[in-house]
Amino acid sequence: MMEMLTDFLQAGVLPTVLLLIRAVVPVLALYVVWRSYTSFKKGQRRRDPVIMLCEEASGVRFPVLYWENSIGRSKSCDICLPDATVSRDHAVLMRREEGWVVCDTGSQSGTMVNGREIKGQKLLAIGDAITMGDVTLTMRNADSPPETRRRIFKGFSTEAASPMKLMVVATLVHLLMALQACLTDGTFAFTQAIPSLIVIVMGWGLYIYSIGIQHRVSFEIETIAYLLSGIGITLLSTFYEEGVKTQLIAMFIGILLFCFLIWFMNDLDRVSKFRLYIAAGAILLFALNLIIGTENHGAKNWIQIGPFSMQPSEFIKIAFVFVGTSTLDRLQTKKNITEFLLFTGICMGFLFLMKDLGTAAIFFACFLIIAFMRSGSVRTIALILAGAALGVLLILQFMPYIADRFAGWGHVWEYVNDSLGYQQTRVLTYMASGGLFGIGLGQGGLGGTRVFAAENDLVFGTLCEEQGLLLGLVVLMAIALFIFYARSDVTRSRSTFFSIGACAVAGMLLFQTCLNVFGATDVLPLTGVTLPFISAGGSSMMSVWGLMAFLKASDERTYAARRASKNGSRSQARPGRNTGEFTPPPRSEMPYDTGYTPRPVSRPPSSSGAGRRYSKPAGRHSKPSRPQPPPPERRDDMEDISS
Amino acid sequence: MKTVGFRSIVLYILLAVFLGGVGYMVANQFLHGREWAMQPYNANLSGQMGDIKDRNGNLLATSQDGERLYSEDDTVRRALLHTIGDTAGYIGTGVQSVMGDKLTGYNFITGLNQTVFTSMTSGLDLTIDQNACTAAYNAMAGHNGAAILYNYENGDILCKVSAPTFDPAFVPEDIETNDAYRGAYLDNTLSGSFTPGSIMKIVTAAAAMQVWPDSWNERTYDCWGSENIGGSDIVCLHGESHGTQDMYSAMGNSCNIYFAKLANDIGSDILQRKAEEMGFNANLAFGTVTVAKSTIDLANVNANQLGWAAVGQYTVLANPYHMMTLMGAIAKGGTYTQPRLTEGRDLFSDRSPASRKLVDATTASQLKSLLRSDVEYYYGDWLFPSGMSVCAKTGTGEVGEGKDPNCWMVGFCDSAQYPYAFAVIVEEGSGGIETAGSLVSAMLQALA
Repeated sequence: MMEMLTDFLQAGVLPTVLLLIRAVVPVLALYVVWRSYTSFKKGQRRRDPVIMLCEEASGVRFPVLYWENSIGRSKSCDICLPDATVSRDHAVLMRREEGWVVCDTGSQSGTMVNGREIKGQKLLAIGDAITMGDVTLTMRNADSPPETRRRIFKGFSTEAASPMKLMVVATLVHLLMALQACLTDGTFAFTQAIPSLIVIVMGWGLYIYSIGIQHRVSFEIETIAYLLSGIGITLLSTFYEEGVKTQLIAMFIGILLFCFLIWFMNDLDRVSKFRLYIAAGAILLFALNLIIGTENHGAKNWIQIGPFSMQPSEFIKIAFVFVGTSTLDRLQTKKNITEFLLFTGICMGFLFLMKDLGTAAIFFACFLIIAFMRSGSVRTIALILAGAALGVLLILQFMPYIADRFAGWGHVWEYVNDSLGYQQTRVLTYMASGGLFGIGLGQGGLGGTRVFAAENDLVFGTLCEEQGLLLGLVVLMAIALFIFYARSDVTRSRSTFFSIGACAVAGMLLFQTCLNVFGATDVLPLTGVTLPFISAGGSSMMSVWGLMAFLKASDERTYAARRASKNGSRSQARPGRNTGEFTPPPRSEMPYDTGYTPRPVSRPPSSSGAGRRYSKPAGRHSKPSRPQPPPPERRDDMEDISS
Repeated sequence: MKTVGFRSIVLYILLAVFLGGVGYMVANQFLHGREWAMQPYNANLSGQMGDIKDRNGNLLATSQDGERLYSEDDTVRRALLHTIGDTAGYIGTGVQSVMGDKLTGYNFITGLNQTVFTSMTSGLDLTIDQNACTAAYNAMAGHNGAAILYNYENGDILCKVSAPTFDPAFVPEDIETNDAYRGAYLDNTLSGSFTPGSIMKIVTAAAAMQVWPDSWNERTYDCWGSENIGGSDIVCLHGESHGTQDMYSAMGNSCNIYFAKLANDIGSDILQRKAEEMGFNANLAFGTVTVAKSTIDLANVNANQLGWAAVGQYTVLANPYHMMTLMGAIAKGGTYTQPRLTEGRDLFSDRSPASRKLVDATTASQLKSLLRSDVEYYYGDWLFPSGMSVCAKTGTGEVGEGKDPNCWMVGFCDSAQYPYAFAVIVEEGSGGIETAGSLVSAMLQALA
């Protein structure tokens, strides 16, 4: 017993305290990651019909469930009209800023509204009759009470966590990591905490902007991005001091980019107007890269302007999603993806010329996701894949040195001291050294011995070594959950533009994560791409924050609150605005205002704070002063319509 | 919208691949993390290994303030370098490399973190005797070579020294360039193979005992110092002519011509099989370390080559660890006790799988009497501490290139009080008894 005590004192109390902190950090991070997702799901709209379309002749009612609906004879249409005179994909009924619009998507017999043939988009009002072939549908309000169905799995908590609470826990994670950073040398060095504190200021700045000024109701995606960015920056701050300033500036610009893109995507007309410019700009940027770019470790993917350097391909990722994704009316009229295929081809061509194979693979994966979601054709995808495989074979045939770079894959332990396995074996050794809780921030051998690319390509190894495998897995889980965010928004978003964009981004980030993590750990060949949010690299950090905008925009609440705050005070005077639709559903069924649904006339007018009221879903984290919080059991029947 | 929603399921393919990859990665770390972490280049390793002590409690290595410290005596540091290993971990067969996980307290949960528990359990007590090792090292007198000795009853390795060596506390800066340090990272006892010379005659004798079980000691051959066998000469050491020799006298005089003729009567096939039975061309495991093989290849040899092979020349190579276990087997009735460096249930003390029978009991006792007669009537018991009843055979392996021969001595003490088997080899020595014999003597002296 005495011996044990002596040993304990000899080992020092500090290492034990730090070990405990490292054990707590992943638990808190996991809480933030998991609760962000469950809260996100809780806050979502229930699957209720938005409006109704009635066939007066037969009395059949078609509930309109989405903000964009395809109408046609085909079974895959959202509103299926089994009538021979209706084309397979006849028309699209969409909700836009100004109200419901219908547009014909190249049908045989055309589409008429109130007996008049339409060209382009036609704004509708309640009571308008849409004629397609022999079928005439009249637009009606959705007044029928929704069926209630209980969800089987409610998550581990029935209540959504408040955004503030999650931000506080995420900040706690950062503070704990900052504390570790201060104690790396055994003494308390406050300056080590500065990067983390700057991250915290930026995170809360975004929070105040988003919740306080923009009156948005949800903050989950930003919370995750904030959590991951902070983990990454604090990790880097202990062994890669020279890059931390860049990371911080990049995070700031990334947040600005994120806010800008959300604003930009609010207006889909604006997006479609700029689409061509974005594509042209992307190609131009690639060309510029190829001409004035500098080669760095085998890939010519850098542009150096004065003291600033950047990786254009990171920003082109954003442009790539913009060009690839599309609204439903465009999907219906331009079924083939030739245009996008061409753009992809050009991008891939440039990337091959730049010898940036990792990024090329990411673009290709993103392309596959978008192509499949747009065309739904397994045959097309198989054809593209076969073509790509052939291309890869040809490349390997004519450029065998590329294959040589991957010769160590799968048996890196035979190349412990040469370039084929040096980095991977170091990653594996140091990851194993870290165990589940890590050997301590700033104590790692991967960063400490300056193994090449420990701060970017191999950063997952550094993370696991210093903070433990558990935190590494939580970070991976956070990125993987973006898939679920995107999937659960996929039919709820305002447009397929957002659905496809969000899925493409989630898929792209997960694929990139696969390449990074599995490359470093010899599950896949090492290609040298960044780990989103964690890796050092300013362009990557900005681009990832920019990409988050697609996930955020896909959430219909993002714009709802904005509109609410803008129009809140006028809402009573002009309910439903031009559309004339107006039957307020019971308040308890509307957890928040989507911005598209009519506002209840019973709501007391107020000049101040009206926006605030819309900005938060009633009852989510209700305070006593808030009137009529909906009974909790009513919210249980919220259902994931995408599943 | 519905169809787009449905198609988004494609993301699950990616997710499945991702989860599979993560599962594979984590499972691999769980299964192989130990080996991964125990890499010589791992910067987290050296500073936190536990203490290593010899059998008498002398501290051989310890850690202080993140630094690895070794014995205070520089001769001890040099003599035990290959047994303990160096800080940088280049010596892959040392305890610090092979048992690094035990020394560092590595486990999957806490990795290489130093916790209260690891610092209490990470110590290691070796079976080594520090004094025997320094005695052997000093007796080598700067020559390269190897000396290994163990207790053939319980398996404890008491002495294990390899040279060239260096001081792990002050690693020479020219270690990579200076020829004197060439091969210093190699433990010659485990990873070296040398031309055996006359110690090979033990194997040839064992083959004769198999071919002529009743008359092997009655066979005689004439020796005139040099004789043409199979087209070229086979000569005895210094051209000495031994006259008519039987097995005992030929073994004592180390008569090459006797054994060359004997081998030709035995035949290459039988000699090859016998050698393999006795552990040549076999992978002997020492814990997790694979020992360098002793090798023999008598396929398509002519009479002259067979003659030279029978006396340990030609292409025959012998490994000191193997020779020691062979001696242990002869001493113990044919089956040797697996040598170990640590007591208890550790990697280096696992005795069950590698124990094997190298000779049968009859041959073992006949060889024992041959080897005992060598010392008793030819080398002299005065060489060794009294009462040890040493049985041994010397060898001088000619290596050519104008170098002096490899001087070997392999053997054991036929004594219940000193159950030691040994194998020593000194490169470029002056003679079997002079060089290797005095080395063995020094070792046994230290253990007496």
